[in-house]
Amino acid sequence: MEIVVAVKQVPEISEVKINRETGTLIREGVASILNPFCEYALDHAVRLKAANPEIRITALSMGPPQARAALLRALELGADRAILVCDRKFAGADTWATALTLSEAIHQFVPGYKLILVGKQAIDGDTAQVGPELAEMLSLPQISYGIEAELTAGLKRIRVKREIESGYQIMEARLPALVSFSKGEVIRRAPSFKEILGARAKQIKVADASELGLAEKEVGLSGSHTHVVKIFPPSQKVHGRMLTGLEAGEAGREICLFLKDRGIPTDSDMRYRT
Amino acid sequence: MHEITSSLPPACDFNEVRRVEGFDRIREQYPDFLSDESKLTMGPFDLLFFPANESELSAVVKEMVRRNIPITVAGARTGLVGGCVPPEGALVSLAQMSKVLAVYHAPYAREWRIRAEAAVRLADIDKMAESKRFPDLEKSQDPFVIEQLRLYGGEQQRYFYPPDPTEMSASIGGSVATNASGARTFRFGPTRDWVRGIRVMTMTGEVLDIPRGKYFSSPSGWFTVYDGKGSCYPVRIPDYQMPRTKNTAGFYASPHMDLVDLFIGSEGSFGIITSVDIALLAWQPKCSIILFTESDERALHLVETLRSDKRLKLDFLEFYSSSAMDLLRDMQAGDPRHVGMPAIPESAGAAVFFDVGFDPLEEKPDFRALEESTASAGVYLADSWAGYEPRELARFKAFRHLLPEKITQVLSERKKTYPGLHRLSSDLAVPDEHLFDMWRLYRTQLDQAGFEWVAFGHVGNNHLHVSTMPRNMEELERGLRLYAQFAQKAAAYGGAVSAEHGVGKIKSKFLAKMYSADEINQMHAVKTALDPDMLLNPGNIFAA
Ligand SMILES: Cc1cc2nc3c(=O)[nH]c(=O)nc-3n(C[C@H](O)[C@H](O)[C@H](O)COP(=O)(O)OP(=O)(O)OC[C@H]3O[C@@H](n4cnc5c(N)ncnc54)[C@H](O)[C@@H]3O)c2cc1C
Repeated sequence: MEIVVAVKQVPEISEVKINRETGTLIREGVASILNPFCEYALDHAVRLKAANPEIRITALSMGPPQARAALLRALELGADRAILVCDRKFAGADTWATALTLSEAIHQFVPGYKLILVGKQAIDGDTAQVGPELAEMLSLPQISYGIEAELTAGLKRIRVKREIESGYQIMEARLPALVSFSKGEVIRRAPSFKEILGARAKQIKVADASELGLAEKEVGLSGSHTHVVKIFPPSQKVHGRMLTGLEAGEAGREICLFLKDRGIPTDSDMRYRT
Repeated sequence: MHEITSSLPPACDFNEVRRVEGFDRIREQYPDFLSDESKLTMGPFDLLFFPANESELSAVVKEMVRRNIPITVAGARTGLVGGCVPPEGALVSLAQMSKVLAVYHAPYAREWRIRAEAAVRLADIDKMAESKRFPDLEKSQDPFVIEQLRLYGGEQQRYFYPPDPTEMSASIGGSVATNASGARTFRFGPTRDWVRGIRVMTMTGEVLDIPRGKYFSSPSGWFTVYDGKGSCYPVRIPDYQMPRTKNTAGFYASPHMDLVDLFIGSEGSFGIITSVDIALLAWQPKCSIILFTESDERALHLVETLRSDKRLKLDFLEFYSSSAMDLLRDMQAGDPRHVGMPAIPESAGAAVFFDVGFDPLEEKPDFRALEESTASAGVYLADSWAGYEPRELARFKAFRHLLPEKITQVLSERKKTYPGLHRLSSDLAVPDEHLFDMWRLYRTQLDQAGFEWVAFGHVGNNHLHVSTMPRNMEELERGLRLYAQFAQKAAAYGGAVSAEHGVGKIKSKFLAKMYSADEINQMHAVKTALDPDMLLNPGNIFAA
């Protein structure tokens, strides 16, 4: 059974810094990593494989030659093989052009796939669009924001626990399907040195635009329907007040006064509703 | 050349130097200055000075000598042996002498160096060397400084300062005064190996400028120091043999020795270091590896195998004993996030840590030597964690440093019941051939005593920190006696009673375990030659 995990290399940013003049992300001096949400998707692929050893995991990325590093990390963590689609013509791709390129790569190189796993979004662009677009292009059922997954019905269906605003939902889809993940291992896996060396003994297949049979106008900047006008940090939320070192009762009274001062009804005015 | 002359810095008014007078005021305004990380406190002292430069320092030294008031010198006060804790008199904090003076290329040595005043912190040196940004130098008016800064900034190569003591908030002056070492000492040696020169103020209030490689002891073992007035201070270098291990106990001495080495590691016994020139090294990409072994003994066997394999170049070799692993498992059971690593494998009986040079994008990396070596010790690379990304290197390093924090936590809990309780920790190093002997001694004695203990640290240098967590005062008393025996034994094996933390005030009694009365007298003679009235750092090395 073939699983494709689509992965992206991103700058390791805990705090986004933006060049005010050009409106682009500052990447200088920032190390590159495998996008954490993609790593979650891979975590789930590895867990599914642990339960079903016949699974074969292919890590797929579109990116510049350096993105090989992200695929190496995927191989270290348990992917069986890796494909890098890499061509200058892909540069400047928006989410649509990216999804189209990835969908072609999947058609060509993993035609028998049963499952596509992706991260919910990449931490550098945060669009969360590539996964859903990919599902549409491949006409697949999709489940987004997954946190747990299991294969059922003799590997014919996937059951996913997903996060929604008010709690959790459990959904099932028939295979082939696409699932995006928002959580994986709480603590990053640490491969063994043997696995790190093993990853380097594997071949990473590199494919360019001509191999995918895509026309120049369909990929990269020319294949993009959107372009970034401006990037700016969201306005800072006003910080709340932190109460520390108080007894519980005392803290409760402080909070109550704080709310009252702002005209917000409190316990004395309103019964607590559960 | 074995003769050197000191010179007087420009004069300045003693009354201009920033100070706090009166013990009550010091205690109120600067309570931290009463102790260091050993938490030792001593008698009251009435003067605290903050000189801003050599001139001010000179004014303080001359005035204190004139009034016969003892001086204790403080760097960042991270010491563990009370070295900077004043028993009386004046405390001179170098905190205000904290400027970086230059980053420059030494063409003959083909290396980059940093010149910094004593109080610059190691963490800042690390950060500046890596980021190539030096706020102090960017404002400089000196064309040489500006030009060298530009050249350094243009270097593609990343550089670093190899000594890596755990406490990076230590000052560069303090780390040179104590010859600090760290995990990487295994490959790169202690601080001493990276000092290219110092400026040091003697008790005359004058400064000796000592580049490495210029002043050597005479064939009969003497240096002659002249001051600006022509007075002469002959110094005879002790003739004892230094241990063949990492060592910070006793003054450094060797035939034909470099004068700079007399001051490095002397814990401020002879003079006050005002600035230091240190060398940087080109940084190579690394992979950190934690290898799990079935038992402590297997881990030590692995250590012996790895370090005798000349094909391997490991930056360090560190250890967590099986009891240490159990303590970490406890922490993981509490809050796995705090440990930050995946669950420690059930089968892991102990762990050995090291770094290897590793280029992540190299097509066919060749680690056959490492594979063969580990396998011959019965340990397999499959039983490991490894990581090479910057975030992984940081995560692995944090894991290596996690244990002491846990020990402190366990003890502070017990201190609630027994306020006098403290941990017992060893800082002993022995020559390679006695690693197993020393280990067996620790294990049998501590197990027989029924103590709760863990071992960790610099196993590559046969320098383990063996920490016992006494459960009550009776255990503490018994433990103290046991640790004194350990020190005795390490010295008998030709090792060091203080491999890393120095002697200061707390360990002065251990010195007699390593050196004979005659040898200690020879040390004393060096001290009185340079500080005839014993006014500098009283109580350090030689018990008051
Ligand atoms: C958590 C922790 C971990 C530690 N880990 C290590 C370690 O891994 N390796 C290690 O070697 N040490 C370690 N130490 C001990 C300590 O950090 C080092 O000894 C450090 O080098 C002391 O530097 P300092 O600036 O704090 O000196 P201080 O504590 O201020 O002084 C230490 C001694 O040096 C003298 N001195 C300071 N500055 C000067 C100067 N400019 N001229 C002359 N004499 C001076 C003082 O008089 C005193 O005797 C650790 C300490 C802690 C708290």
